Amino acid sequence: MELRDNNTPSDDDTRYENFVARFAHYEPDLRRFIRSLLPTAVDTDEVLQQTAIVIWRKFDQYDPETNFMKWACVIARFEALAYRRKMARDRLVFREDVMELMAEEGAEEFDTRSAEREALQICLADLPAKHRDFLTLAYTPGVKVKELAREAGSSAAAFYMRLKRLRGQLANCVESKMQKEATT
Amino acid sequence: MKPDSWKALSRDEQNWIGDYLDGTIDPEAFASLQDRMKESPELRATMRRCLHIDDSLREFAEDSLADSSQSSIASWVDETPETIPFSETISSGSRRAIPVAIAAGLAFLLGLVFMFVASRPDSSSPVVENDEPSAEGFAALTRLFDAEWATDESHREGDTLGAESIHLASGTAEIQFFSGATMTVEGPSRISLKSAWEASCLEGAVRMQVPPAARGFKLHAPSSEIVDLGTEFGLVVREGKSHVEVIDGEIALRHRDEEETILEKGDALDLPVEGPSEKIENGRVSFPDAKRFDSRAIEQRRSDFDRWKSHRDSLAGDDRLIAYYTFDQRSNEPLIPNLALPRNPELDGATILAERVDGRWTGMKQALEFRRPGSRVRVNLPGEFSAFSFVAWVRIDSLDRWYNALFMADSYETGEPHWQIRDDGSMMVSVMVDDSRPNPKNPDGPAIRFQRLYFSPPMWDPSMSGQWLHLASVIDPQNKRVSHYVNGERISREEIKPEYYIDELRIGSAEIGNWGQPFREDPVFAIRNLNGRMDEIAIFKTALQDEEMASLYERSRSLR
Repeated sequence: MELRDNNTPSDDDTRYENFVARFAHYEPDLRRFIRSLLPTAVDTDEVLQQTAIVIWRKFDQYDPETNFMKWACVIARFEALAYRRKMARDRLVFREDVMELMAEEGAEEFDTRSAEREALQICLADLPAKHRDFLTLAYTPGVKVKELAREAGSSAAAFYMRLKRLRGQLANCVESKMQKEATT
Repeated sequence: MKPDSWKALSRDEQNWIGDYLDGTIDPEAFASLQDRMKESPELRATMRRCLHIDDSLREFAEDSLADSSQSSIASWVDETPETIPFSETISSGSRRAIPVAIAAGLAFLLGLVFMFVASRPDSSSPVVENDEPSAEGFAALTRLFDAEWATDESHREGDTLGAESIHLASGTAEIQFFSGATMTVEGPSRISLKSAWEASCLEGAVRMQVPPAARGFKLHAPSSEIVDLGTEFGLVVREGKSHVEVIDGEIALRHRDEEETILEKGDALDLPVEGPSEKIENGRVSFPDAKRFDSRAIEQRRSDFDRWKSHRDSLAGDDRLIAYYTFDQRSNEPLIPNLALPRNPELDGATILAERVDGRWTGMKQALEFRRPGSRVRVNLPGEFSAFSFVAWVRIDSLDRWYNALFMADSYETGEPHWQIRDDGSMMVSVMVDDSRPNPKNPDGPAIRFQRLYFSPPMWDPSMSGQWLHLASVIDPQNKRVSHYVNGERISREEIKPEYYIDELRIGSAEIGNWGQPFREDPVFAIRNLNGRMDEIAIFKTALQDEEMASLYERSRSLR
């Protein structure tokens, strides 16, 4: 069966390659942008998928002279809001006004995110191994805090407290590294 | 220090962000967090940073998944936490993460896009694993009585509850925590559930019953914290002001900044928003009463059952009935009386191996269970009819057989019906059109048993196991159609084609819940007992129409 009725194969292939190249390049940034709007990584994955589909569909409308990320963020923001309305019963979803503010500001922070990411890698490397192992364990997909705590003979409450403290430490570390970077 | 830094946040804000990331934030705190975010660009910026760190940590964990070892688990427990936070469970938070295309993230996304656009199947795109069960609950709504919920909520009896707030507008609800504690709530009430061991009463009246196994259950009031040391206490919260009373056993109470005090049976305290707690005379406030709840529930069930009984008695006089069995006699008598009037003992049924068990009204109404392969009720219903309506209250436990019998004519000769459920949950009804039609291709060979099966779409799946259903199928030759109904609603209708038309119908020897004379010895065909219960069955010699079926369901159903 012939799938490409109107376009010649080469047109379509070029378009697709173009899209793949751009999307692959910007995907991590786009993901971080969407992540700041939604409660969980799962929600983020869903909206990112939907966003990718819309970007591909509208790819013809994109003017290569303009900023791809700006254009993509507009689409992602719209998809996140649509997703929000779909799951508004979930108590952890930001209100629309808060989400709009987060999107507006987040779309201007890609450099900040990159800097954070670099700083975080250094901070994690500086962390004592047992703390790093703990974080790895806590963030492993599918791990149940309760079961983990039971195995270790401690309470889930202690686990969360520990997790919060470590995250706070990391946030402090990331911030001071970034500040240093900015002043040197 | 930059203003948009973690350190610059208040303790509250830090906690809120932490709880948000862990998915354990309670609704009030989440509302406060958002209010603060709305005002403060610094808080928003820090929030984005924390979300990014959280997401990156997950990514790093996924990358280093391979070399994380079990031995690392124990290494963090030597450090004692400063305080004990609320929740012990994860509801909708970060760790419900599904490992969506971890390694092949981009490949997956692009694969998906391409599939979508070109609708070309792409066998190389990785499969999304979803081995995580959905949110776990830690409490159940065991009983509801006249319960009305606030507009945006709806809960039903048997629902599982997790970390969430419930808003009961009126009526009474009983919540059983998996720790063993029972909470009886009377509306209007707002309760926030935190774990199997902890909850908050924001508004309204509750009674807590805490067995030894659940000692230590914590209930928060706006200005106080109550730890139940067993066994029973009541709490009323109105406009932030609380009143607590120990009905039995003792509780530990901490009000505002006061020292923790132990209250014993009969002690009652007022707990104002501001100011000290005040000991008062007990018995001035009434708390939701589980016992009254019990007796009211029994009362309601009884009146419900009485309503059914009067329906039964009036239906028995319906002259369109061929037979009507309700299995509700108390004795162990094997005879199942046919209740259709005028009484004709010739039409009574005989129970074989089927067990008498509780029916739709436990302790009041009996039913028959056909769990054992040999179980059945045998009947003999002579006569000639021009239509059939089969109507029964059935509880399916599982569909173990290829075909699961409801009502089956023994020899299945011309004009005889079979009513059953296929293993995919479809209802099926059939009539033998001609049991000895010569085979046109081989006139001297064995005759063809010419019949037609009418299926409904699947109406049952294992999640409905144990539910009582009102099932009905109607063979209506006059209008040339066959219809299936579930709970009074028609779920399918099919035309009777001219070649399958037959209006001289009969039953003769037949069975309820099994099939007496299978033609083939193959157990796939032969064993057809229904793994479930039947509470009543009525067979009519006319075709009941939609409205009648709806009203039959309505009049015979349980209102609870």
